[in-house]
Amino acid sequence: MSSPALFVLLALVAYGIAYFAYGKWFDRNVWKPDPKRTTPAHMYTDGVEYFPVTKYVLWGYQFKSVAALGPILGPYIAINYGWAPALAWIILGNFFIGWLQDYGSIMLSIRNQGRSFGPITYEFTGHAGRNTLLGFILFYLLIISATFIYFIALFWHIFPSTFAATVGIILVGVLAGQLLYKVRANVVMTTLLALVLIALVIWAAAAFPFLQTPQGAWPPNPAQGVSAGGIAGEWSLLVWGLIACVILYLASVLPLPQFIQPINYVSFFPTFLAVILILIGALVSGFTGVRLEQPAWVAFNPGGNSPMWPLMFVAIACGSISGWHSLVSSSSTAKQLDVETDAHPVGAGAMLSEGLLALASLAAYMIIPREQLTGSVGAWVAGAIKFTAPFLGGEAATGFLRAYFGVVLILYALTVQALVTRFWRLVSTEVFQGPLSVLGQKHVATFIGLLVPLAFAATGSWNNLWLYFGGSNQLLAGLALMLITIHLARTKAPTIYTLIPATFMIVTTISAIAWQVVKVYLPAFLGTTPTLVQFPFNQYPAFARAMDGIFVLVGVALFILGLVMAFRTYSAYAAAGRPPGAAPRVSMGDD
Amino acid sequence: MGESKQQKKGGFLNALKGVLYGMASHGNVTAALRTRMHMEHLFMFITLGDMLGIPVLPPYYSLRILPYAVPNIESWKQRVFRERDFTDAIY
Repeated sequence: MSSPALFVLLALVAYGIAYFAYGKWFDRNVWKPDPKRTTPAHMYTDGVEYFPVTKYVLWGYQFKSVAALGPILGPYIAINYGWAPALAWIILGNFFIGWLQDYGSIMLSIRNQGRSFGPITYEFTGHAGRNTLLGFILFYLLIISATFIYFIALFWHIFPSTFAATVGIILVGVLAGQLLYKVRANVVMTTLLALVLIALVIWAAAAFPFLQTPQGAWPPNPAQGVSAGGIAGEWSLLVWGLIACVILYLASVLPLPQFIQPINYVSFFPTFLAVILILIGALVSGFTGVRLEQPAWVAFNPGGNSPMWPLMFVAIACGSISGWHSLVSSSSTAKQLDVETDAHPVGAGAMLSEGLLALASLAAYMIIPREQLTGSVGAWVAGAIKFTAPFLGGEAATGFLRAYFGVVLILYALTVQALVTRFWRLVSTEVFQGPLSVLGQKHVATFIGLLVPLAFAATGSWNNLWLYFGGSNQLLAGLALMLITIHLARTKAPTIYTLIPATFMIVTTISAIAWQVVKVYLPAFLGTTPTLVQFPFNQYPAFARAMDGIFVLVGVALFILGLVMAFRTYSAYAAAGRPPGAAPRVSMGDD
Repeated sequence: MGESKQQKKGGFLNALKGVLYGMASHGNVTAALRTRMHMEHLFMFITLGDMLGIPVLPPYYSLRILPYAVPNIESWKQRVFRERDFTDAIY
């Protein structure tokens, strides 16, 4: 019991039971997928949006689309309560809630002509419901952006070799794009060349000190005096954030094939390899002598202002359940599903695989001594090195592995954030009409979609931003589960298995957002607790107070929009007119 | 027996290939398809929209350029409808 391997194996068994036993039973009693029923991919084949692909392709696509920083960094906050509750939530959350949502989102969409969540929300809750969801998603995107911009900046700062490595990988991506699209070079050869160049770039960034950025305080603690230096001294957070925004701006406004698409493509290989390596490292930790260093249990409310419920349940964003998955499932995956029975391996399989990633990440924190863990979310890199160094070159490879795992974190954040910024731009075009249409203009929307999150990132504390992000993300998951429940009620199928998880998630996430507003940001805004705005911005009290107030308003907006949306979905469920849990009266069918 | 092993091996390799393609490229492929779709939509709207019962875009663009075209309409008509023969081609 001194190494994490046993817990990873235990989770594997639990996920196996969830997939094979509970999943099969759930299918038999609730969704009743029929391999003979025509899916939207066949019904509306157009070769562009609707076309059938194999379950293997879709599983790969779904996993790649949903697995990012959420399951990697979320356990860092959760381990403050001890690894046992975090482990329990990752396993039980996946078992009873996570895979049901991903799988249900796909099934909901294919049983509704492959439509995405916007039109389905419109059908179930009306025009106002759809607008509420749109408003909620706007705030959700701002918070995601703020969180991820913060992390890109932070990782560049704490891992000196990663900035050069990131720039190098971006250049390799652009080169690969030119070779693929302009020169029409062979894909396999281009990919191999790109991978060799990426390995060289990371090695060079780790080996040559002149490629490593100077270190300054982040932001320096006023109590210890100002230690200037590094990139623009105490303004380094803002400077790194601005550099990240420039890259993200290009990713948003340039045509996909010229910039972000090839970068995404070449980034996939090192990032996915890192996941595989960590999993292997966790599984063989019993043989490599890696031991647990963290306590199983710390406290229900460590520090006095962060109770396990509801905060831990939103901290592990994506590792147990995630609303982002429902958007992916309904927008692309459902339109390309070959047969209904493929939805289970694709939806449930991808979610449980991500649960495994969360578990491996938790294991990476479990093996770091507590004093090393405190205050550095980059501890994941230390854990990853500890797991993998024994079979990847030992002590000699540490520098390379630090640069490699550090840049992996940045690539995860950068590639997802590029997608989010572009998504923000498209949503802005739809939202801002009439006299406000200028806000939907490509460059203006991108500028706003980066400036506001940068202001949040440069001033806000990351863990509070993360809890807003986790709260809104898991709330979206709760709402998705409610839409699934409404559909099941309409088609006279049992609803209790999704209604209870939906209710749990909605109550938990709305409580978490309310806690963050009332117990964290509001006292800071009112001056009863110190401002949450970071140095050096906290040196300007009026500005700091205003920023605390803005964070209160963002939380209130998320809270109100989430509450209204929840009310609308429950009303729609009541209108579907069936008590939960009753036996189905007729077999499942299309609406 | 050997054949079924071959099929299984092929099946596994195909599955592996599918997973790898799905992770690395499927998103890019669908994005490229969607980009082409949007371009085709525009092309159809602009060139054939009015013929297909969508009388929105061509009149819209016509109205946008109308103020610039008005001063030239009279002289344009004269030039277009004037009788021409090969002698007009001589300096």
